Amino acid sequence: MSKKKSCVVLPFVAGFVASLFLGWWGFPQLLYSEKTQPLQFSHKVHVEDQAMSCEDCHFYREDGSYAGLPTTESCASCHEAPMGDDPAEIEFVEKYVNEGDYKEVPWYVYQKQPDNVYFSHIAHDGVDCTACHPDMAFNETLPVYYENRLTKYSKQTMKMWECERCHAENGASNACFVCHK
Amino acid sequence: MKKMGLDRRSFISFLAGGTGGILFTPVVWKLLDDASIWSQNWPWIPRLSYGALDRKSALCKLGPDAYGVEVLTVGGRPVTAYGNEKDPASKGGVCPLGAASVQLLYSPARVKSPMKKDGASMVPISWDEGLSILKDKIKVAGDKVAMISGDETGTAAEVLAALVAGLGSDQYFLMPSEAGPAVRAWQNVFGGDGQPGYDFENSDCILVLGADICQAWGPGVGKSCMDAKATGGSLLYAGPVENGTAAVADEWIPCMPGTEAILALGVANALIQAGRSADTMGMSEFSDFVRKGFSPAQVEAKTGVQAAKIKDLSERLLRAKKPVVVIGSEIGQGLSTFEAAAGMSLNFLLGRINQEGGVRIVPWAEPVFEGAPRRDAMLAKDLVAFLEGVAVGRNEAPAVMLVHEANPAYALPGGQSMANSLRKAGFLVSFSSFMDETAAMADLILPASYSFEGFDDSYTPYGSAKGTYLATAPVIGPVNDTKTAGDIILAVADELGLGLGLESFEEVLQARAENLGADWSGLLEDGEAWTSERTAFQFFLSMWKVPFDADLGKKGADGQLVLAPVVKLNIGSAKMATPPFNVLTISERELQGQDCFVAMNKATAAMIGVDQGSMVKIASQSGEMKGRVQIFEGVVPGAVSACLGFGHTAWDDFSRGKGTNACDVLLVQGLDSQGGASFGNPQITVSRA
Repeated sequence: MSKKKSCVVLPFVAGFVASLFLGWWGFPQLLYSEKTQPLQFSHKVHVEDQAMSCEDCHFYREDGSYAGLPTTESCASCHEAPMGDDPAEIEFVEKYVNEGDYKEVPWYVYQKQPDNVYFSHIAHDGVDCTACHPDMAFNETLPVYYENRLTKYSKQTMKMWECERCHAENGASNACFVCHK
Repeated sequence: MKKMGLDRRSFISFLAGGTGGILFTPVVWKLLDDASIWSQNWPWIPRLSYGALDRKSALCKLGPDAYGVEVLTVGGRPVTAYGNEKDPASKGGVCPLGAASVQLLYSPARVKSPMKKDGASMVPISWDEGLSILKDKIKVAGDKVAMISGDETGTAAEVLAALVAGLGSDQYFLMPSEAGPAVRAWQNVFGGDGQPGYDFENSDCILVLGADICQAWGPGVGKSCMDAKATGGSLLYAGPVENGTAAVADEWIPCMPGTEAILALGVANALIQAGRSADTMGMSEFSDFVRKGFSPAQVEAKTGVQAAKIKDLSERLLRAKKPVVVIGSEIGQGLSTFEAAAGMSLNFLLGRINQEGGVRIVPWAEPVFEGAPRRDAMLAKDLVAFLEGVAVGRNEAPAVMLVHEANPAYALPGGQSMANSLRKAGFLVSFSSFMDETAAMADLILPASYSFEGFDDSYTPYGSAKGTYLATAPVIGPVNDTKTAGDIILAVADELGLGLGLESFEEVLQARAENLGADWSGLLEDGEAWTSERTAFQFFLSMWKVPFDADLGKKGADGQLVLAPVVKLNIGSAKMATPPFNVLTISERELQGQDCFVAMNKATAAMIGVDQGSMVKIASQSGEMKGRVQIFEGVVPGAVSACLGFGHTAWDDFSRGKGTNACDVLLVQGLDSQGGASFGNPQITVSRA
């Protein structure tokens, strides 16, 4: 009776390839949940159609701090009542502008940093926005937000090594206290 | 040819391949990284809230002083308090309580809703029920309603006094302070009008007798003294303990506790000997009085200050172009009318009344409500004297006692006996924002909003050289189910049909601003203080128009140990326990575990037979306290210094049960003919505990 020869190489390769596939494709699917923003918003309508600049909404305050996303109150300076028949705009006015003292929209922020990181936008004023943020100016819709199921941070939240690399490349200090106050 | 087959070896090979493969993916490294981040993100960790930075003007009334602060808000949420440079009482500084003022919004000791006593405990009730209970009690009490307020400069106290006066009662009391005896002295002893203030900033020689002005009179006072020093002026401090004011003074003149008034009259004698006189009636009688009873030798024997130093002090005052003398108590309360007058007499002799760099008399603000008492009428009434009268049956206990921004059950002399007097009131109502000792024993708590949560104001804190007025709008809405004290009282008055005439406390403050001629919107929006350089017109001043007080010379060194209490605002004040934020500022020489320290110098300790760290019992005729001995050469021989602010029985875990209450040892040493009670420095016995 002839003895079967064990197949070793092929299963090894199969296991290796399967892991690569699962690790590079399957794992991210499992790790991140997809979240849609609470409202749809078109940057393109505002920038292209209304000729607004980025700084009209994303501006530095007088004291140099960065306003980040506009507040509902500031949006209401134009959208106190619906200006058109866009369902998203109507929903915004009904659910947020007319709700008490201007209820804030719980936007998901793609690059939100943890509280233990102090990031000053004005200190990075010379760097192009798109070096860290995707260029949203002509987007019709807001991209899907991927939330890390473990950490609860955005997939696009910049990691410390990225900050450090840029600081090192540009001769900026990488001392702890520069970012961790 | 052998057949190839999948067997156990193949399976292991598959697993090995898979394991090897996984190492070439992000799985392991990403999971490790994320797991470490996950471990930092527990749900109970507070999150920062982001938003626009803003500064809103507010008031700090947590200590004996009242001054303006600016509260930094982020996205509308208060974060921290800074001084308000536009307020003369603050000059951009904050006291240790002001530094903790924002965190106190969220103190665990906050009263979260109206409560009523139910057996031995307090149960939450609605505002409607609370107001209805109070209305019914006041209706039955009629004119037997009394009030105590710790808000000496605020109009809320006046609203409460207007209610009490409207009911036909004249029992409106303010908590003991420096202002009470100073105003009684100015009005009754010298025949003046208005509130004495001190132009420290423009003085070239400031003699401070007892009062810890650089700590407890508002951050602006300390800055003014430093400004005076910076321009060549001198700051001299006489008192029993090297306290905050002594520490920054050019010279500390050690003086037996409670004898600063004797020292003042000794200096007055020296000034008269040097030819100084006041061109007013009563001068010759005053001259005779000090010459007979306050010779340098007599004063040295009582105060422990050498005769040569007394002469030196008088000469320095005479040499100065703009000297000013201020007298007060180390703890901001407990001075008698005549002790206050003794200090003021030096300003008379030096011709410093209503002079630049001297004493300036600020006019009173007229009451907003018709029939309401002016502040001087409230200061004329002595709460300690009244409650002591209740204790001994001399005064009838009120049927309803209303307590506002004050903690008399803790902070009055002989704490327990005063608390017992309060218990004799038929119905005790507290408007406290915090569960203090008085609120804990109240029958009803109608919690007032914290100062930052509502409209508030302050008119000319005692000591201010000019008239000032600050009014502030809410920095944040009520964190708990509370209402502004003024609005609660207006609602009660409305329920009782007393109709004070104004609908809201905001309207009351607007009326006050209008009376003063202040710009209401400027006060609220810019945090600008209204100020006035006007001084009060004095109709007829005389040098000591009432009989001289026979007790004035009785205190002093006679071999008995004397208590020298001190106040440290980081530990607390008469109305505020130690804020949680300040716990770490209390040193191991002040509190160790549950034991507080009492300080004495080495000679005193040797005389008693105790060492550093010994546990001792300090007793007066009024009560007792315990503490560990701290050897400190900054206390005069024969005196034991104890810090007020410990020994709370209510509040929260940050202050309850820490040390013992030195107020229990303070003893009312008699009432003067002007209605004032003196209680600062009792004779004590000290023994090992």
